[in-house]
Amino acid sequence: MMLRGYRDSDLPLLSGDWLPGELLGLPVPGRPPLAEPARVPAPRDPAEDGATGEDDELCVVPGAGFVRLAAVDWVHRRARLEIGLRPGAEGGAEPLLKAALDHAFRALNLRRVFGWVTPAVPLPSGLPRDALLRDAGLAPEADVPRALWLDGRPVARQIWGATRHG
Amino acid sequence: MADLSLLGTAEAAARLSAAPQTARGFLGLDPVTQNAALLARELTRTGAQVLSADGVLLGYAPNSVQPRQGWVATTSADPAPLAALLDFLRTYRRCTSYVAEVPEGAPAVAALEACGFTGAGRLPGHVFHSGGYHDVLVYSATQEG
Repeated sequence: MMLRGYRDSDLPLLSGDWLPGELLGLPVPGRPPLAEPARVPAPRDPAEDGATGEDDELCVVPGAGFVRLAAVDWVHRRARLEIGLRPGAEGGAEPLLKAALDHAFRALNLRRVFGWVTPAVPLPSGLPRDALLRDAGLAPEADVPRALWLDGRPVARQIWGATRHG
Repeated sequence: MADLSLLGTAEAAARLSAAPQTARGFLGLDPVTQNAALLARELTRTGAQVLSADGVLLGYAPNSVQPRQGWVATTSADPAPLAALLDFLRTYRRCTSYVAEVPEGAPAVAALEACGFTGAGRLPGHVFHSGGYHDVLVYSATQEG
């Protein structure tokens, strides 16, 4: 699956019915129609003094979704991965996850990628989340209780990560 | 109970810079390699507040997707200032759970464990300093409410 850089015309891909900050953000089944959609910010143009916007890397798959590497840190060589897919593009979750990690490790030469996973919310159409993440080389690292406010109550989240040595 | 006083961003950055070794990993900051201006910018970006109690620096940052959870940090192994911060957050910010990320071997670990935090996991190779990658420990605590 080919990623390409974000363009202004890709703005509709940046909001949708996934959980905020979710590593593998697929449309949440049974989400109330009035619930606020999750959003990620579009990259900003450099300011007049040359300062760039946030240290984010944003790529899209046209018509399917986006891949965001948030807060890319060039000292620690790490970034937080966030993926959001449109309804109907769930089948692309596995290749997109692999393409995202490949981009982070090979194109950006990062050493570590991590992200938030919410086990309480199942993936649509019975996709096996743990198997998908493990196949891509990610492993669970921490369980943080009450880390996300969802449907009127706090739910636990996990941090999954992958490290490429070298 | 220790008296807490809230520090402004510039003063907080200066106080962190003045004690760089103990403040390593404080809310994800590294005062050894980051100057005061960069520390102040990072504190502003995360919405963090820095408090002082009996010469100990304490930090708090809100979780943007869970208003009842706070990210906390301390520079001391003494649990009393941290307990005062948790009491403040519970009473005035309605926090019911807390998360801390500390580098392995940091003095804050003793204070966290004394305040009822339990290990929630380990982030391998999460930070780079002193020529190598180091693990970061995740601690969490929850309260009723």
